[in-house]
Amino acid sequence: MRTIDDFTRPLEYISPMDGLLGSIFREWVEKDVMPYRRQFDEDYKEHHLIHPPFKRLLGEYGLQRMIFPEDLGGWGMGKSNYMCVAAYRMFEEIARADTGMALAFGALFWPLLFIALEPHENRRLLEEFAPMFCKTTEPVFSALCMTEPQGGSDIENVEIVKGTTIQTTAVQDGDEWVINGHKLWPSNTGGLAKLMAVVCTTNPGSNDPRDIAVIYATDDMPGVTQGLPYEKAGMAADVNSDVWFENVRVPLWYRAIGPGDDAKYFGEIMATGNMGIIAWISGSMMNIYERLVEFVNRKRYHGKPLKENDGVAGLLADYTAHIEAIRIVGYQCARMCDRHDLYGPLWDPGLVAKMRAQRYLALDRFIEATGRVMNLMESYGTDRDWDVEKHWRDVKILQLVEGSKQLCQIEVARWFYECKTL
Amino acid sequence: MNDLDLFPYPKNRLQKTDVDLAASLQGLVEKEIMDKRLEFKEDYKQLLKPSLGKLMAEIGLQKMFWPEKLGGEEHNQPSASYTIAAALEQVGRADTGLAFLAAHSLALQAALALEDYYQEELCTAMAPLFCEGDQPLIVSFVLPAFAEEEGVPEWGGKSLQVKAKSGPGGWTLNGKRVRPTCSGADTDLIGAWCAVEGEEEPAFILVPGDSPRLSRSPEFLKTGLAASRNADLDFAGVQVPAVNCAWRGGEGYRRLLSWFYLGLAAAGVGALLATYEILKKWGDTRVIKGRGHIFKENPLTGALMGEISKEIAMDRLLAYNLAEMLAEPGAYGDAGSEGVFTAALMIAHHVYASAEYTTHRTMELMASAGYAKEWQLERYWRDVKTVQCHLGAYELAKHDFARWFYQAKTL
Repeated sequence: MRTIDDFTRPLEYISPMDGLLGSIFREWVEKDVMPYRRQFDEDYKEHHLIHPPFKRLLGEYGLQRMIFPEDLGGWGMGKSNYMCVAAYRMFEEIARADTGMALAFGALFWPLLFIALEPHENRRLLEEFAPMFCKTTEPVFSALCMTEPQGGSDIENVEIVKGTTIQTTAVQDGDEWVINGHKLWPSNTGGLAKLMAVVCTTNPGSNDPRDIAVIYATDDMPGVTQGLPYEKAGMAADVNSDVWFENVRVPLWYRAIGPGDDAKYFGEIMATGNMGIIAWISGSMMNIYERLVEFVNRKRYHGKPLKENDGVAGLLADYTAHIEAIRIVGYQCARMCDRHDLYGPLWDPGLVAKMRAQRYLALDRFIEATGRVMNLMESYGTDRDWDVEKHWRDVKILQLVEGSKQLCQIEVARWFYECKTL
Repeated sequence: MNDLDLFPYPKNRLQKTDVDLAASLQGLVEKEIMDKRLEFKEDYKQLLKPSLGKLMAEIGLQKMFWPEKLGGEEHNQPSASYTIAAALEQVGRADTGLAFLAAHSLALQAALALEDYYQEELCTAMAPLFCEGDQPLIVSFVLPAFAEEEGVPEWGGKSLQVKAKSGPGGWTLNGKRVRPTCSGADTDLIGAWCAVEGEEEPAFILVPGDSPRLSRSPEFLKTGLAASRNADLDFAGVQVPAVNCAWRGGEGYRRLLSWFYLGLAAAGVGALLATYEILKKWGDTRVIKGRGHIFKENPLTGALMGEISKEIAMDRLLAYNLAEMLAEPGAYGDAGSEGVFTAALMIAHHVYASAEYTTHRTMELMASAGYAKEWQLERYWRDVKTVQCHLGAYELAKHDFARWFYQAKTL
């Protein structure tokens, strides 16, 4: 009998930890997530059901430590050249059960990338924050606070807008930054985030990238307020809310890297974030494949299993063709993010553009193909018990995070055609 | 000009009563549903059920086709198709799920009580359910579905979920885990397409929701259509009078569904008109690429907005074209004919494929606001997808099209 493990992966460059990580995540997903996931939508505020599996994965298994150096209690993956292919496997396994959990898991590392990766490792900040993540068995979340009320994806559009629209300010006062501003939509907020990386400006209205700053704050600092979780079409495990910063005072050395480099290395979040989205899509599609196999074997048409109808078989083939292609492309993207010696630095606008291109292509394919699968399943396609509709809702949201599709298109065109004014 | 009038439709074909009804529904749904949904969201008890009562019982959509002598409004000419189109696009604009329920009621009324199809005894038995009292009557259908067992009775390749046996006391119905099209948890009247023991031709039998030996599973969770609290049904020897058999064979089945597809197409157009209104507000006010760049003025996003409006305009024309076909049986054939049925099925599928495409694209333009419940767009996206799935598998509907246009015999 065919299984999801029959889909192709580029075996020549999977990570050395792949087998171990794969089996840990597969077992965790089957035991701790699958039995409860159909009730996650209604659990979006309280996380009564969502918290226990996160506690197991992040706190007890210790996955939240993996990016920190080994001497600080971490696993040292931030310095490996297989971080992204290893992450791809983990992301895929989680997304097979719940894309929201996969996003929340991936997003907790975004703020840490600024300080954990070479060549811009910030040892002092790693030492400062490592105990928060490494000396506990409770799950610890972090959040990258980017989006603001007035501009949506403008913050991500650094190349053109150059930070001119950032309203959140960081003003130096002695040996401290004073942060003021209002952020929308960061993943892992709504009261979850212990650590926040805040994208702000040190000179409002400036188009000098050196004035774009990424500065850390913790949830217990006076003036930091996380709002209530937003109600969304899906992705209940990924909590988003407003976050307000009112005269939040942090030490000067809480700035991630420094003038110019904060903006430059922001590209690393974009590249890995877009790669992660492809992993979440392929994980989700593999679970849809599993459910579809059950459906077309169980349901009969003209006296035969549905899968034996030639017209239906065409659709089934299309779906698996998409999984094959997206998965191979996704692993290739992960490899490109790992091998800076071959593909250039992770922050490079060309690499970011390529990740964006593959991400939006994969999403377009997912949306079109999964819509057809739901339709084939008739009313069961929209029935929560068959799981496909939840993936459809959740993955749609992935299309709209880290910049809309149109922003992706513009960035891709800008790089490949050397556009000057887009 | 009303923003909705930007999208053309054949105004000259509508009677003044249709225009007045649409205008009054537009006001009603804005006040009773759209203005309240930030507070009540998709709450069935506080928002959707009371709204259904207003539409079906107070405004009287459930009384529309029945003869005056039976308490109805006797709007029983084929041209009532325009009334359905005009009314349900307004209801669908406010809540696609409510329009979905209304489409069931209006299709059944049309198939039973239109002048050309009128059956005195059956209508006398059924009309009081629709015309008396002040509560909405929720109608659902049980249509052929994919079988899970070998050897079950089939109709067009699918299984008939309910088996019926005729006897001296009427009909006895049996079926386990039967999935209705809507509202299994609280339907008041079920029109079930049944296999008849010992006979080839299936029967469409009407079953009151309070019939003994009819039981309901708990409501199941689904993508959209909150107004439809659906649940599977068990028929364990349910008995109904002989008169409750509305018709036998394919013609009645096709007639019912042709009218049903008109209602669904109009409901889908309503959802698209709402999508347009949400996007217009977004495009008029949103600034991108820094200060001063209005969203709708950007060549990339503006082009996509243009494409979205093209889809909506074409879908509205198509829905009204279907109304025209049903209004003119002399020109196009009866609603129960294979040609009209095929056209109705094609138009319904086309409208919902377009609605799916359009709501997806609109969400992309609105980014996180597209999936935030606060902006309301995502509910239309979920609702239209749910209706589309209820139309049946498109891969198989294409065989219906091929059967008609290419005279395929074995698909």
